[in-house]
Amino acid sequence: MRFPAALLLALPLAAQHGRYLSESKHPAIGNPEAIAAGAQLYATSCTGCHGPDGSGGRGPNLVRRAVWHPLSDEAIFNTIRNGIPGADMPPTKLSEEQTWNLIAFLHALIGPASENSVPGDAAAGERVFWGSTAGCSQCHSIRGRGGRMGPDLTDIGVRPLALIKEALLEPSKDLYILGNEAVTVTLKNGQVIKGVARNRSNYSLQVVDPEGALHRISMIDVRELTVSERSPMPTDYGKRLSKQELQDLLAYLARQTLRAPETKPDRGKN
Amino acid sequence: MRGWLLICALCACGTAQVRYEDIVKGPGEDWLTYAGSYQGWRYSPLGQITVENAKSLAPKWIYRVPNARGLRTSPIVHKGVMYATNSNAVYALDARSGRLIWQYVDTRAKGQGVNRGAAILGDRVYFTTNDNYLTALDRQTGAAIFSQKFADREKGISSTSAPLIAKDKVIVGSAGGDSGMRGFVAALSAETGEELWRTYTVPTKGEAGAESWGDYIEWGGGATWLSGTYDPELNTLYWTTGNPWPDFTGATRKGDNLYSCSLLALDLDTGKMKWYFQFTPHDTHDWDAQSWPVLINMEWEGKPRKVVLHANRNGFFYVLDRMTGEFLRATQLIDKVTWASGIDSKGRPIIIPGKDPTPEGNWVCPSVKGATNWMGQTYHPGTGLLYVITLEQCGMYNSTSQTPVPMKNFSGGGATEEGGQVILRAIDPKSGKRAWEYPMTGFGRMWSGTVSTAGGVVFTGDDDGHLVALEAKTGEHLWHFNLGELLTASPITYEVDGKQHVAIASASAIVAFGLFEPAQQVPLPKIHLDK
Repeated sequence: MRFPAALLLALPLAAQHGRYLSESKHPAIGNPEAIAAGAQLYATSCTGCHGPDGSGGRGPNLVRRAVWHPLSDEAIFNTIRNGIPGADMPPTKLSEEQTWNLIAFLHALIGPASENSVPGDAAAGERVFWGSTAGCSQCHSIRGRGGRMGPDLTDIGVRPLALIKEALLEPSKDLYILGNEAVTVTLKNGQVIKGVARNRSNYSLQVVDPEGALHRISMIDVRELTVSERSPMPTDYGKRLSKQELQDLLAYLARQTLRAPETKPDRGKN
Repeated sequence: MRGWLLICALCACGTAQVRYEDIVKGPGEDWLTYAGSYQGWRYSPLGQITVENAKSLAPKWIYRVPNARGLRTSPIVHKGVMYATNSNAVYALDARSGRLIWQYVDTRAKGQGVNRGAAILGDRVYFTTNDNYLTALDRQTGAAIFSQKFADREKGISSTSAPLIAKDKVIVGSAGGDSGMRGFVAALSAETGEELWRTYTVPTKGEAGAESWGDYIEWGGGATWLSGTYDPELNTLYWTTGNPWPDFTGATRKGDNLYSCSLLALDLDTGKMKWYFQFTPHDTHDWDAQSWPVLINMEWEGKPRKVVLHANRNGFFYVLDRMTGEFLRATQLIDKVTWASGIDSKGRPIIIPGKDPTPEGNWVCPSVKGATNWMGQTYHPGTGLLYVITLEQCGMYNSTSQTPVPMKNFSGGGATEEGGQVILRAIDPKSGKRAWEYPMTGFGRMWSGTVSTAGGVVFTGDDDGHLVALEAKTGEHLWHFNLGELLTASPITYEVDGKQHVAIASASAIVAFGLFEPAQQVPLPKIHLDK
């Protein structure tokens, strides 16, 4: 069976790229001024290939790479300075300070979206989320409101912006489907249950239906089981929403955190 | 995939709600609050497992809790779903198969500690993080609804107890009394997490009781790290308090140190203290009063009386009037008590001089672990007996003359213990006498407790890693199972699909038992892949 996705998604990001963050000792890392300076450099020099939020394009997705296969700061430093011979990544003539500012910005980029400046109108994004065109709230909940089928988004701002965007535009991409298997179960008594399998084995199945009710099913009672290889989430948000709506929605989602933020210096969030 | 959206759009979410009245009713198929009932009985009317058939108990499933070491959780069960906790985490399990339905891990919580369990009301499950956030989750999905901070970790406070739900309130406590803090009990709104009242267990300077302290009153302790019990008719919470700080030296806190080592009766609506009873005034042996205040009605001197039973860490077993706090009787809980020769007619210990901790060390019974502790006790209304885990153990108590520094793990000395034996004792509350006892093997390290059932069975964890079934009337052994780990949690019982189960958290896993049934053959499922 597939590994329950909720498990993977619930893993702290820190655990996934903990080594990357904990080994960073350069004073630029986490310094708001360095991050701001790095953001400017990034916008002018890197966006063209790696995308404004690091989600990639002509060049690789920097966020995904950092989450799953982190490089040390020194390796990033060398890559920025020397480029990658034989590939499209060119060497740069940035000063040491500028390079570290850029690395500081990359750290922020792979950190929680809620701690970064995300363009877009969050209030308009809120309307998109709860409105019928996007229909997000029919399956997803925030702070106890909304549907129960899809993953809860109350704390989604803890994830990097690029990954939120990816989950929105390419929901069936690898792990975002895991633990959210869409199933149709026909029982031997004729009852049909459609929903999301939270867990499944050869012997039992735990399904949440669209009404949010949980069904605990013994496989001995199952006549037929259909498992979708796609996420139950629609895959057409790139078309269904305008660029502006999408940006606003991301701005709204980026702000969703369960815990009230600890008092920190204002980094000029919009 | 638009079909999915349409289905979602048509839905009206409806799931079985847990009402306050359901918790008042006490356990049946479900186990809805930490101690089973508000009275703290850990007794279930389920009777499928009996004295006759308990020998056929067999393991049904095991759920290995991720990262668990020394689980303290007492699971909650509602309609076939079990909710168990670990530090900063909640797991919802299919109670008939042990399969995970959802898990919630608060990765931002600071500090890892023990967690004794969750609470449920409506369609929510509640628990507290180590850094004092009350978190409400959707019971069906684990989706977060709120996470509300109720105390500062920076003031030495952490949270370890299971919340107690009463009416529309979630009652939370505070831990950290061994390194200086100010204990409290607080009521938070089940709807929003907002604080409704807070009652401190140590007064501030100028308040009544402050004269019983010294210079460190602001860090006096009186932690409230175990859930309490509740009398719905009297609308009263019964909550125990922990040791005064510094634990092992009383030089900086001359006086009784109110309201440490006490039982507090608090009005549910306001938090106002109706009465208090202090078991160990000016404690210097770290004998927190954290042990269950068990509420029963019984005949006392020919008249019915509402009483609270309390087996205390200091070696005595108390009966108090729970309406007034009046002391009725205390008897010795364990055989060897060397710090007091008895309890006087007002409920104060008759101190044997020279038993305080000393720089060289002073050998005193009971040990620092106490004659009993926070592990679950059970009261069986059929036998009329209270079943209490006791520890016959003495220990060496040392004091230090160092200046206390709050939040620096300073306890004013230390204590060690040696040998000792855990004994489950069945006590008749009417006389304070023992009906029977069941001595265990082991090293006096367990924190496991008990549950009893209408089938006439008492289940207890033992000091050697076994779950044991005993006959409630006689203490005769019926069945045991080696869980292979130190036990630090108490068992519960529930019914799912008409089958009674008994479940307990071992150090690292939840394990459920039921009566043996031959396995049914399950053909490999026919799975159609929809690409």
